[in-house]
Amino acid sequence: MRHKLAVSLIALALPLAATAAPEPYTLDPYHTYLHFEVDHLNGMSRMRGRFEKLAGKFTLDQAAKTGSLEVTVQTASVSTADNDKGSRPRSRDEHLRSPDFFNVAEFPTMSFKSTKITFKGDNPSVIEGNVTLLGVTKPVTLNVENWRCGPHPASKRQMCGANASGSIKRSDFGMKFGIPAVGDEQKLWIEMEGYKD
Amino acid sequence: MEDILNHPAVQAGIAPFLAALVVVALLQFVRLGGLAAVAGFGTAVFLISGFDFFPLNATNKIVLLGLAAPVIGLLLEFAFKPTRLGTVLLVLAAGAAAVWAFMSVLQQKELAQALLIGGGVAAFLAWLVGFGLARAEDSIRAGAVGLGLGLGGGIAAILGASAKFGSYAIALGAASGAFLLWQMLTNKRIHAGATFTLTVTVTAGLLLAGTMVLAQLPWYSLVMFALVPLATRLPLPEQSSVFVQAIVASIYALAVAASACALAWHSSGGTPG
Repeated sequence: MRHKLAVSLIALALPLAATAAPEPYTLDPYHTYLHFEVDHLNGMSRMRGRFEKLAGKFTLDQAAKTGSLEVTVQTASVSTADNDKGSRPRSRDEHLRSPDFFNVAEFPTMSFKSTKITFKGDNPSVIEGNVTLLGVTKPVTLNVENWRCGPHPASKRQMCGANASGSIKRSDFGMKFGIPAVGDEQKLWIEMEGYKD
Repeated sequence: MEDILNHPAVQAGIAPFLAALVVVALLQFVRLGGLAAVAGFGTAVFLISGFDFFPLNATNKIVLLGLAAPVIGLLLEFAFKPTRLGTVLLVLAAGAAAVWAFMSVLQQKELAQALLIGGGVAAFLAWLVGFGLARAEDSIRAGAVGLGLGLGGGIAAILGASAKFGSYAIALGAASGAFLLWQMLTNKRIHAGATFTLTVTVTAGLLLAGTMVLAQLPWYSLVMFALVPLATRLPLPEQSSVFVQAIVASIYALAVAASACALAWHSSGGTPG
């Protein structure tokens, strides 16, 4: 009798234990990009660009309301759609890769690692974490603008997608060249999609 | 005022030139006019980035070494006159300092490439420092070397995609120009010494090497810049005034520097606009 009760309790607990496990996802590099926007020439316009190559993973535990996000960005993939120098000695994107800005030869990657994810209902709403850029690590908060999970319409693979935004001050990371002509504050947007492993 | 101080021409040119001129005018009488070089360089660093050496990346190491060079120069001038062995050791130390500055980049390379690049920048800096120390007593030639490596190096760095390194180097050139100009106007040579030559050779050498390692200056441009100190060893019209000698020495240095810049321009694929 006691043995049957124990087995029943274990059988009852197993589905709950499976639901509580964080589910791992890998970011789809073809649908995940980091964008930035910065003030140019003291407010004349806001220049935008993005990083073309990144990789990462996230986990999601909707039952326990926890999760994690880790992203590594290839800094050399920075693009402001100006890679053709024309008659100039160098293009803007080449300048961005130089030690004046992202210094890609010395720091080929920058990364984000979450420390806390706050949920609103079943979905993440705020992702707090640390950005490491140019060898300096600083906290940043990303506000999740939308989060959705479901099967891919064609392949039926389980996936999640989101848009999140935040901002950093580049001078906090030692990137001071050109301030204030090129603004200090950089707004960040990330669009991401990931498939369950 | 802030707009003026944020202007690139002021940060890299006017302010360093004026700072150097003031230092030469005030300190030449105590054989410290050579501090003009670090006055100009330090002014540019202060205006462009500030004195913040954290994290200790390659750029901050270059600035640190550039600010440390005149201190070592002062020690050589007033405390420890180097023997021949001492000079050799100092030259080797300069090479080692170059490797230290770029270690974070070299560590990411394959061993063969790291040895090639590291050996190259070490040899380049050792060469410049050695020639600089050999000419430390000749203030005209020393000033011309600073002018050539500074102005030429600055233009080459901008062509190599780093405006910051370019600004720092131009500031060094502006300071060297001020050092030369004072002598031209007073028709009197002043003391350069290791205080001046170490500053210009170490700082300009590291900035040029940095533009090669971290940006896009081609290595053969560096080889051409290495000829600037050699060029200033060409004969000067010794019977002429200091003014004329300074002009001639500067032409020697700037001609070679211009060739190096032309190589950098060619490598960038730049064409007339």
